[in-house]
Amino acid sequence: MDLQHLLFILALICANDSLSASDDLLQWPQISKCRSPEMETFSCFWTAGNFYNLTVPRILQLLYKKSNEEDWKECPDYITSGQNSCYFNASYTSVWTPYCVQLASKNEVYDKKCFSVDEIVLPDPPVHLNWTLLNTSQTGIHGDIQVRWDPPPTADVRKGWITLEYELQYKEVNETKWKELKPRLSTVVPLYSLKMARDYEIRIRSRQRTSEKFGEFSEILYVSFSQIGIVCDHCTEEVEFPWFLVVVFGVCGLAVTVISIMLSKQPRIKMLIFPPVPVPKIKGIDPDLLKKGKLEEVNSILACHDNYKTQLYSDDLWVEFIELDIEDPDEKNRASDTDRLLSEDHLKSHGCLGAKDDDSGRASCCEPDIPETDFSASDTCDATSDSDQFKKATEKEEDLLCLDRQDNDESLPNLANPDPQRQRRNTQSENSHLWAPFGDSVESPRPSVHTQISNQNSLTSTDFYAQVSDITPAGRVVLSPGQKSKLGRTQHEGCTEQNFTMDNTYFCEADVKKCIAVTSHEENEPRVPEQGYNEDGYFTTESLTTTVANLGASTAAPPSSELPVADYTSIHIVQSPQGLVLNATALPVPDKEFNVSCGYVSTDQLNKIMP
Amino acid sequence: MNTKGASLKGLLLVALLVSHMLLIKEGVTSLPICPNGSVNCQLSLEELFDRAVKLSHYIHFLSSEMFNEFDERYAQGRGFIAKAVNSCHTASLTTPEDKEQTQQIHHEDLLNLILGVLRSWNDPLVHLASEVQRMKEAPETILWKAVEIEEQNKRLLEGMEKIVGRVQSGVVENDIYTPWDGLPSLQLDDEDSRLFAFYNLLHCLRRDSHKIDNYLKVLKCRLIHDNNC
Repeated sequence: MDLQHLLFILALICANDSLSASDDLLQWPQISKCRSPEMETFSCFWTAGNFYNLTVPRILQLLYKKSNEEDWKECPDYITSGQNSCYFNASYTSVWTPYCVQLASKNEVYDKKCFSVDEIVLPDPPVHLNWTLLNTSQTGIHGDIQVRWDPPPTADVRKGWITLEYELQYKEVNETKWKELKPRLSTVVPLYSLKMARDYEIRIRSRQRTSEKFGEFSEILYVSFSQIGIVCDHCTEEVEFPWFLVVVFGVCGLAVTVISIMLSKQPRIKMLIFPPVPVPKIKGIDPDLLKKGKLEEVNSILACHDNYKTQLYSDDLWVEFIELDIEDPDEKNRASDTDRLLSEDHLKSHGCLGAKDDDSGRASCCEPDIPETDFSASDTCDATSDSDQFKKATEKEEDLLCLDRQDNDESLPNLANPDPQRQRRNTQSENSHLWAPFGDSVESPRPSVHTQISNQNSLTSTDFYAQVSDITPAGRVVLSPGQKSKLGRTQHEGCTEQNFTMDNTYFCEADVKKCIAVTSHEENEPRVPEQGYNEDGYFTTESLTTTVANLGASTAAPPSSELPVADYTSIHIVQSPQGLVLNATALPVPDKEFNVSCGYVSTDQLNKIMP
Repeated sequence: MNTKGASLKGLLLVALLVSHMLLIKEGVTSLPICPNGSVNCQLSLEELFDRAVKLSHYIHFLSSEMFNEFDERYAQGRGFIAKAVNSCHTASLTTPEDKEQTQQIHHEDLLNLILGVLRSWNDPLVHLASEVQRMKEAPETILWKAVEIEEQNKRLLEGMEKIVGRVQSGVVENDIYTPWDGLPSLQLDDEDSRLFAFYNLLHCLRRDSHKIDNYLKVLKCRLIHDNNC
């Protein structure tokens, strides 16, 4: 504050200095303004400047010239408009003719102005202001009045030579701020709702209709109701609008209405006012199952896919069939399998991602004798010969392949590492365990899930889902769009057929083979046991639940035979040929080892498994 | 079905509202329209004058605003004002320059003069509208106003011709007209000269529109209200 004070004082001193300094300078004579009150005459005014110091008094002249003339003429009338003015009467005034005036003494021209008379019209103020009472309110506190006036006498409004607009301003006597009304053409204005106990002041000014500048204000008109004998009984009472009460009652009423609507049994009203917010729902997944399940299992199931990507590079058997579009990460990230799986539009497209390449064995996905893994591949095989999808599928096959990575040391994502451990601990793998991670993830906000996907996708650059398109006699699973499964050990481990969770579930090979081995006895599918032999994972390219994908993506865990197999639940709802909702509590898990880190069963398999 | 009806009503309302908004222009179109070809429908002279005055006021208002905008935007610092003592192309038409002359001139002559001025401005307005579009960064408002003025000027011309037909007895040859040759100056390469040409033209337009507005108001008060507006 001290600094501000100091600065302020300094500024004052400087201003003082400059002001005093300017007094010493000669102020030139200036034409201050030229004005025509009625568009018939006009006057020009000037300031003489400070000639006090000059020894010889100079005589100022105002010269004028019309545009079509050559010579400068002197002002015809220096007197009528007062001192330092020049008055041009009607004979000297041509309205739409450009004029130039200059202020000069004998040798010097001090100032010059050019204008035309129609531009400098500033009317005189209105005259004869008066007011009359229109009516009073019933309480007698407020009243309406009407204000009348006459146009300025100089302005010839009657013959239409000039058209004037009026602006009225009024205020209470002890107020400082004037209230303005809009400019209007009429000379009669009503003022509504004035307080009868108070006195008012009114003033009016006018301007030419198409101009912007107003003339001077008229004399002030005083409005006093007591003068005309109005007796106001309750005038001293000031009733102000009870804002506080209005607000309080309004809020209470609104709250009561809202509560009554919410509690009302009428579903229609409730729907109208509070439309139900659609909860996030994953097609094919019962959210209850997910809630009861355990996160680790699903994480591990899905995680195994992630590891296969790195694994595949070392395996040259199928590398040749892998088409990686690594140089186009955007494309992969944009439309990875996971994303496509997430969107229902691509449900079918994942069935068989364009089995163009015969060598890769993907063409077999279109073969009718591979039903168990081909949820919709046979349907969509021809339809989805999309090269992009094909490429993406090939990229993602690496991830999708649940090769026996558990036997290989790989750099697993850190997220995935704890998952197998947790999975092992899940001895009591209920059916819902598989879905527990889903449940957790479902409850988690969607964006995080998606970011998980995207992150994972960016990390892995592929999805993890593929579809078992064929099972070679050697016991390998041919995947599409994923890569073919590797040769691997076969593990016949029990896994309850009921535990096959359909609808876009994903399998780690190790897990699946356990599952398949168990179910192979009950399954009629010849392919199933063959699949069980495969160490590779099985994938459905159907849209697994997003959460499953995400969880798998985010928490990629290495599939290992030691990992407990995930539980599989019975089929709860068959939503589509590609999707099944599993009943978490339907069947017990006979084999704990079946906590597959990534265990998925094709729809057809499950169909045959389940009654 | 209810929803269909409601939506149709809503659509109709919206269409009406939009058309209403489009049609409202400073009160010019608020007057009843006389359908073409109808025999008994004739606007009274008072209504004709009312419309003419409204149109002329609107045109002057637009040209005034356009000039102010142009002055603000392009003419600052170029010293155009000093050179603004210009002559408009309509200066050759001898029009009354003050109230006395306006009151002394016969109303038929004044009407013909008004017609002459309006006709003389037809051509420049058309070119103004087209040349303004070529101005560097011509703001939308100036552009719109130029087009609007040109349109309204045509309407006012039609209205004036109707009034002249009513007021005048017999057919009078009206060849009051000044050609305009300022188009090359609007198309100069030198930006300063071109802008100065625009400035002059807009200044002249503002002045002449004020003139026409005033003459029409005087005529209206004289003929319709008997000098007692």
